[in-house]
Amino acid sequence: MASDPHIHSAFDRDLEAVQAMIMKMGGMVEAAIADAARALETRDDELAEQVRRNDRAIDALEEQVNAECARLIALRAPIASDLRTVLTVIKIAGSLERCGDFAKNLAKRSSVLSQLAQIPGASLAIRRMARTVELQLKDALDAYIQRDATLAADVRQRDAEVDQMYNALFREFLTHMMEDPRNITACMHLHFIAKNIERVGDHATTIAEQVIYLVTGMMPEEARIKADKTAFAGGDE
Amino acid sequence: MTDISAHPSGKRKTSSLLQLDARTKRRNAAERRFQIYGLVCIGIAMVALVMLLVSIFSGGASAFRQTFATFEMTLPAETLDPDGNRNPEEMAKVTTIGYQNVLRQGLVTAVRGANIVPEGMTDADITGMLSPEAAADLRNRVLNNPELLGQQVEIDALAHGRIDGYFKGRVTMQSAERDANVTPQRLQLAQAMADNGLMALRFNWGFVTKPDASDQRPEAAGLGVALLGSLYMMLVVLVLSVPIGVAASIYLEEFAPKNRWTDVIEVNISNLAAVPSIVFGILGLAIFINFFHLPQSASIVGGLVLTLMTIPTIIISTRAALRAVPPSIRDAALGVGASRMQAVFHHVLPLAMPGILTGTIIGLAQALGETAPLLLIGMVAFVRDYPDGPPAGLFDPASALPVQVYNWTQRADPAFVERSSGAIIVLLAFLLVMNAVAIILRRKFERRW
Amino acid sequence: MNDMRIAERDVSTSETKITARDVNVHYGASHALKGVDVDILNGHVTAFIGPSGCGKSTFLRCLNRMNDTIAAAKVTGRIELDGENIYDPKVDPVQLRAKVGMVFQKPNPFPKSIYDNVSYGPKIHGLTRSKAELDEVVETALRKAALWNEVKDRLHAPGTGLSGGQQQRLCIARAVATSPEVLLMDEPCSALDPIATAQVEELIDELRSQFAVVIVTHSMQQAARVSQKTAFFHLGNLVEYGETGQIFQNPRDPRTESYISGKIG
Repeated sequence: MASDPHIHSAFDRDLEAVQAMIMKMGGMVEAAIADAARALETRDDELAEQVRRNDRAIDALEEQVNAECARLIALRAPIASDLRTVLTVIKIAGSLERCGDFAKNLAKRSSVLSQLAQIPGASLAIRRMARTVELQLKDALDAYIQRDATLAADVRQRDAEVDQMYNALFREFLTHMMEDPRNITACMHLHFIAKNIERVGDHATTIAEQVIYLVTGMMPEEARIKADKTAFAGGDE
Repeated sequence: MTDISAHPSGKRKTSSLLQLDARTKRRNAAERRFQIYGLVCIGIAMVALVMLLVSIFSGGASAFRQTFATFEMTLPAETLDPDGNRNPEEMAKVTTIGYQNVLRQGLVTAVRGANIVPEGMTDADITGMLSPEAAADLRNRVLNNPELLGQQVEIDALAHGRIDGYFKGRVTMQSAERDANVTPQRLQLAQAMADNGLMALRFNWGFVTKPDASDQRPEAAGLGVALLGSLYMMLVVLVLSVPIGVAASIYLEEFAPKNRWTDVIEVNISNLAAVPSIVFGILGLAIFINFFHLPQSASIVGGLVLTLMTIPTIIISTRAALRAVPPSIRDAALGVGASRMQAVFHHVLPLAMPGILTGTIIGLAQALGETAPLLLIGMVAFVRDYPDGPPAGLFDPASALPVQVYNWTQRADPAFVERSSGAIIVLLAFLLVMNAVAIILRRKFERRW
Repeated sequence: MNDMRIAERDVSTSETKITARDVNVHYGASHALKGVDVDILNGHVTAFIGPSGCGKSTFLRCLNRMNDTIAAAKVTGRIELDGENIYDPKVDPVQLRAKVGMVFQKPNPFPKSIYDNVSYGPKIHGLTRSKAELDEVVETALRKAALWNEVKDRLHAPGTGLSGGQQQRLCIARAVATSPEVLLMDEPCSALDPIATAQVEELIDELRSQFAVVIVTHSMQQAARVSQKTAFFHLGNLVEYGETGQIFQNPRDPRTESYISGKIG
């Protein structure tokens, strides 16, 4: 993955191993989000249960990554790009672990939602949002593999899209709840789901920023467009 | 804030770097003075060396040139071979006196033939122009080549030492008047002969190859026997002292346990190196001649005595050379599983070889120049016969170069002064050749690593 | 005979190669090593670390009896190589050193050609019968030492003409050529620059598949990089011995912790 091999080939092997773990983790998280969204849409309790179980594996993997990084730092004293690699690996693993938690939360709520009445159009919208976020996460991880700062910057900008989707869903759920108080339970759950998905998008952005740091050695400075306006949207209707 | 200035006075004067302070000036001056002392010392050493070389060469170079009388004559067969059958054994009955008469005849004829009129000189006086050795030389020549008899041959006769001295500026007309061995008339004749090409100074190989001659014949004295004797002794020293010395040092340095015994041995070896050489001479006399009954004056005895003298030098320098080999080389050899002996002989010894050679050469040079112990074992004897080839020749009487120098300086005839200087030149040349061989060997060993 | 030659031995199984029990070394009056117990495993690089004078080099030199050359050194205790006590009076240290090779702190090639350096061990041990076999052994050893490609065109050039790192690899090749079972290294990189050090370390990592490697080092980072097992010596005691990762992340003994984090000399 890194440009030139080290004279210590074992160092390269260690670095590759830890990054392979990240890739594996990324794949598991993507799958977890997709599965959770599908479980919600299809009201598939079994799938939701599986997502919750899988999260334990993701958590374990994060611990493994952290332990491996600690060992790398202790034994290999990485510097320069190697140091950035190890540092970003730790951060990305943390982000991915959070994303896994969000997927688990999604799955939990979908089990509850499957007992409630369906909110028309909601699961489709959630599914679309989940897919966008999934793509964002996938691109962020691709950018990481390819050390592609341009793609990472692109991922970072695309977060606005997710934020807008979340804003739209927020208004929609608000409308449903105002129309019929019986929808409140479902809408509250759906709102948290949307919020969690939006949070996954934020973590994808964090990963993208880590990629930029890894490649350039500097954190991106320019402000990115924030489109999550719900904090100000409370009473305007 | 505490004052952490390193200077007790609290502050250091700041000054320009372009201006030297008093301390620096003093220090620089001291350094310059020291360099000048060194140069002066080297200068003194150089001047001493130059003086030595100049005095030796100016005094000794002429020893390599000798005055010869050159003329042609027919060797009378009837006087020199009365039996007429050219048998060298029978011809040997004619003594040197007979040849002297023949030579006189030839020289007188040659002088007359050149229209030189030797004023107030008898024929016997004319014979005195030549060295007594000339007749002996001619006799040897004829006995070796009987077919020369009755033929016209060119005679190359050594001139008398005084005549030779005249051409070298040692003898003048004034000194000749007070000299029993030469008269001004002979010098005039010599001058006339030289003007007619009958007499000339030429390079004389005989100085290096011929044996010593008696006090009366300095012109015939040569270094042949001394050179051979020295060579034989060096061979003995080399063959004995190098293996013994090197083996002893290897054992002491690499194998011997470090205890009181080895300490005692070590101290004794160092002391032995400082023992005056004449003591070794007494030792040699007592042991080799009186106890083992080896022949006196023989180069084997001289060699043995010099070996005893050289061994401590070789041991000391060899041990230094062995110690100078980095221990890492021994470790390396032991580390791949070599035994102690393999480590020493495969690795340590080759590396120490240049140092060992240097020590050997210093020891040999010392031995070559040694006179005192040789006097005690009788090598000062007057030896006219060449020793045989080795090994039998080692037991024949011989002389040695430094002893020959010493010997010649004892003699009355001033002609021996130049000869002893000449012998020193030969001795130095011998030394130079030895050193050159050592340097070549060193190069050869050093190139290997 | 042939099985004595360099053969690709697979020693990756981690059975115990050397067992040291209660090893004590006295240099005259000073007690240099106090009751050391260590197991050295095949297929592992074992690093000995510790401050100067802690006894790590002394212990290393016990393992092939190089201490025998020092008259004042007295070794007690048991050191077993494959279950045989190497301090048994019947053991010939020369034969032992053929099995337990050693590489030293300063690169010390013999002042001879590269070829002669490597072929010396096999020659004196009679490991080869022909010139062709010897050539092969030399090539294999140089390849194992990752030096072959750099020197194959000048095998008869002097070994001392190589760079420091190359010289040290030549010394490793020389040690490897006698096909030892254990390779001892006494601060093999202390005289080398970082790149040469890295090359030698990489080589050590490769060699551990064929030998049990024991390395003494001043550099904790080096121990961390190359070893799987680390032993920390302090004042003649073996303070701690364990997995390198554990020693460097979570040492059990406070003295180890202080030393590796740079708090005691």
